[in-house]
Amino acid sequence: MKRPISIVMWIVVALVGAGALGGIAFHRGEPLNATWFVVAAGCSYLVAYRFYSAFIAARLLALDDSRATPSERHDDGRDFVPTNRWILFGHHFAAIAGPGPLVGPTLAAQFGYLPGTLWLIAGAVFAGCVQDCIILFCSIRRDGKTLGEIAREEVSQRGGFIAQLAVLAIMVILLGVVALVIVNALKSSPWATFTLAATIPIALLLGLYLRFLRPGRVLEASFIGVALILFVVVAGQWVADSPSWAHFFTLSGVTLAFALIAYGFAASALPVWLLLAPRDYLSAFIKAGAIFSLAAGILLVRPLVLMPPLTRFIDGSGPVFAGKIFPFCFITIACGAISGFHSLISSGTTPKMIIRESHARFIGYGAMLMESFVGVMAMVAACAMTPGVYFAINSPASIVGATSDVAAATISSWGYPLQAQTMTDLARAVGEQTLLNRAGGAPSLAVGMAQIFSSTIGGPRLLSIWYHFAIMFEALFILTVLDAGTRVGRFMVQELGGRVWKPFARTGWWPGILLSSAMIVGAWGYFLYQGVVDPLGGINSLWPLFGISNQLLAAVALVVATTILLKMKRLRWIWLTLIPMAWLVIITMTASYQKIFDPNPRLGFLSYANALAAQIAAGKIPAAKIADTQRVIFNQRLDAAVTAVLAAMIIVLIIEALVQWYGILSNNPKSVLHETPYVATRWTEDFSGASYPGTVTEPEAPAIEG
Amino acid sequence: MRSAQAEGQDHLKNLRTLAPAIYMKHFAAKLWLGIREWCGDSAYERYVQAQKTKPEKSCLLTPTEFYVERVNHRYSRPNRCC
Repeated sequence: MKRPISIVMWIVVALVGAGALGGIAFHRGEPLNATWFVVAAGCSYLVAYRFYSAFIAARLLALDDSRATPSERHDDGRDFVPTNRWILFGHHFAAIAGPGPLVGPTLAAQFGYLPGTLWLIAGAVFAGCVQDCIILFCSIRRDGKTLGEIAREEVSQRGGFIAQLAVLAIMVILLGVVALVIVNALKSSPWATFTLAATIPIALLLGLYLRFLRPGRVLEASFIGVALILFVVVAGQWVADSPSWAHFFTLSGVTLAFALIAYGFAASALPVWLLLAPRDYLSAFIKAGAIFSLAAGILLVRPLVLMPPLTRFIDGSGPVFAGKIFPFCFITIACGAISGFHSLISSGTTPKMIIRESHARFIGYGAMLMESFVGVMAMVAACAMTPGVYFAINSPASIVGATSDVAAATISSWGYPLQAQTMTDLARAVGEQTLLNRAGGAPSLAVGMAQIFSSTIGGPRLLSIWYHFAIMFEALFILTVLDAGTRVGRFMVQELGGRVWKPFARTGWWPGILLSSAMIVGAWGYFLYQGVVDPLGGINSLWPLFGISNQLLAAVALVVATTILLKMKRLRWIWLTLIPMAWLVIITMTASYQKIFDPNPRLGFLSYANALAAQIAAGKIPAAKIADTQRVIFNQRLDAAVTAVLAAMIIVLIIEALVQWYGILSNNPKSVLHETPYVATRWTEDFSGASYPGTVTEPEAPAIEG
Repeated sequence: MRSAQAEGQDHLKNLRTLAPAIYMKHFAAKLWLGIREWCGDSAYERYVQAQKTKPEKSCLLTPTEFYVERVNHRYSRPNRCC
């Protein structure tokens, strides 16, 4: 009896999901309600998880629960810790969910709600979740090795080196671009700047508390920290109202950029317990709270989606960033659908804590579905505001103009009506001097979130508090990415430098720490600075560069996964990784080519550099601005070179992989699988990994055999 | 004098009344433990537990030493994503 009910239930879920997706795709006329998006995404995820991920787990990977995982064989209570699957899901999700799924869909909303939403759902189901799940599985079978190590063993030495280089490249670009998002959110905003600055002493206070007063008591420290942060969000209003304090915290983009560079250096070089770790704890709690609140808010308010399904900017003339819907919608969405960076979490950290192979499906596939849902919510929040307001916030001054009147006239002429007074009133309502030209996605997402939150609690009176809460939430966890990423980057630089000069690799050697921190901060700081001074707003150049590098890393991960599956003789199902890999290669190659060579100066790096050079040669640039213009020209050529190097890396890796695949298919004895040998688990079937004393089913004999 | 069957029925009735409360209490306890583990509060307890099961005895770290070592190690590899 149970089976027929289950079949009927799943048919209903599939039909409802298909109906909602059809509604989103084909509805025209009156604005859609956000419920359609939630239902379409939710039902698609349920069906995908129930059937597609089960198929991958059973047929492609043949997950084996009788096999001991690394957490059982090496349990040391530090790195290798058997962890309950729900808790590990929370850890994994907190690690993979960054600013990408919030900012990417917000920027991609310039094409309308439809392409981004469809890619968020389909990309996650068929590519992102598959990548995360398979890389997690591969790492479990290799004692938790990292992607670079796996690539070196299974593809080639050179493949491993390329993967490591790609990781470092994406890290530098990522840190530069997320820092730019913060700068654009805090620029000329004393309230937001004060709030974020105040989180630094709060984090230091918590660091001292956790180190000296109550070692390791993260929960109570985090409660204190969250309470203090909520207080400073409110206190920011008093700072903004005080002329002297407001003046002190009203900073330009360049000043903020240097402040962030100094912060990144300090966070990388200072003891990790003092600043980085406590900030991360705070960020994790605020992130979890804000994401759940946004989901609850959307369900309660059910806002209307005012953005049309497709805008006129699918032709590549968009003001937020240049480029046609293909490939730039996919490049821009990035992490919400598939993120190469996830493969670094899926290899290295999570596999050392998993207790059963079958949990790779729930944690790897399931957590990515949840991240995709965050992306859909960000898309709803961005599209729930009137299109005119969306474009006014996200477009640079060089395109829409720097004043409300000019911007309103320009945006209205595109067919998205906007009154100048609307922007003035909105800025006043959220407690900002202006909301014009705040490219980067964070301010418009904060406006969307604030409108949703204030519709449930507080009404328009609390709009400014909610706006600054949302800005603080975004900036806080972007800063966490910034400081954690800088530190990891520092270790990578030290490791690479150690190959040339051994003392450099010593992580406790102060000259090495300072020099490597300066190198990594200098690298991303340069990208940040060029973004801040870029006349086109910075995001136009840097976000696509970040998207390309991120998707390139995902392609690297899928190349590695495909190689391993071929070695496992899963030829029949190889298309499960081969098709997403091929798709990623096509979009990254097309985007790279267009970003380098496109004749449109807004899109092609080289044509923009050449256009500026021609203006200097024709004497059209005032003498005072020639040096700045020459710097922009250099930056554009540098971006072109970086893009070319990224594209070349994936081409070399694919050639390496093709050689390896040929060897595997022709039964070359050198093409062997490097899995750790099978060891039977000694845990009972009901062992759940719960950690509290007395409930762990301990093995009677040592867990490791021969 | 009530029969054993009636007493049994009363006991069952009491259990049914109490069941949701017991379930909720159990759920709340599990949730609390889960949150402690998720945020790392119980990491030291888990470490001590793991050391006890090891055949070779090594010097046990203090809570402070363990905390500092844990965060140092944790933030030396990618653990926050974009």
